[in-house]
Amino acid sequence: MHIPDGFLDPPLCILMYAVSLAFLIWAWKGVKARYPRSFAPLIAISSALVFVGQMLNFPILYGTSGHLVGGTLLAVLLGPHAAVLSMTIVLLIQATFFADGGIFTFGANIFNMAIIGGLSFYLIKLLSSGSRSQKRFLASVFAASWLSVFLGAFACAVEVGVSSMFSSAGSIFVTIPAMLFWHTFIGVGEALITTLLLSQLQRIQPTTLIGLNMLRRVVP
Amino acid sequence: MKNFAKAIVIMIVVLMVLIPFASTYPDGLEKVVESFGIEEPQPPWKGLMPDYTFTAITDSYLATLTSGLIGVLLVCSIAWIMSLIATHKNKNSESS
Repeated sequence: MHIPDGFLDPPLCILMYAVSLAFLIWAWKGVKARYPRSFAPLIAISSALVFVGQMLNFPILYGTSGHLVGGTLLAVLLGPHAAVLSMTIVLLIQATFFADGGIFTFGANIFNMAIIGGLSFYLIKLLSSGSRSQKRFLASVFAASWLSVFLGAFACAVEVGVSSMFSSAGSIFVTIPAMLFWHTFIGVGEALITTLLLSQLQRIQPTTLIGLNMLRRVVP
Repeated sequence: MKNFAKAIVIMIVVLMVLIPFASTYPDGLEKVVESFGIEEPQPPWKGLMPDYTFTAITDSYLATLTSGLIGVLLVCSIAWIMSLIATHKNKNSESS
């Protein structure tokens, strides 16, 4: 889902940078208010985990692959604010060192993956709605992970679709169905990996799931 | 700190084991662009390790692994530094 440079027209790039910046400020303030310095190692290791996950593509069908995005994973590990920042760092390193995602399109990529991913925390909150059932939690994680990929793909499809690159090929009327088709399946991979990883982490090292603790607290 | 080290080791092992199995098929977005016959514009910045390769190493597995390890190192350090700035001071006098 990483959009390379050249795919999006400059005005859209600027818009997405502005939108993402607003969310990044929200995330930064949230982290400053809620997290003591002792969380730095956890944030660092979670970012590394997502970086590794994103490197390991899995085949889906018809000669296409997908990879873990990891937004929901980060959301349960770190809570929504830190998840947004964590993913942004991953995307930053990918864009600058690996040309995985462009520099001009960095704002759009932050929105599609870091922000939608981090905010999937609230999807889990909504879906599990106060229940302490483990089954319900895992089902909520599964659904939220899938949705975070699906919605991110939708945003990506709109961004790419309205750009001049696709103007003669049918714009959003082709990009949306196509992106949503592939990411329906990629989303299942995301949901499976995320749910599996989190359920195992919950079993062996539950204290790392800061986001989960935040979900369980009555205070929003 | 011990848990941190353990986690890094596990990640390195995961990379070493799973890289050969990582699919090289195009991802969803690339596939969409391909299937409409649209040429991907050449990006102005190719990065130091474009497409997770590493020019000094010829073996594809080792190149990918090296770039992955460098990436882990970079992400970890930059995320750590960011976190130190973004978080607030520990409320008690315990060492972090």
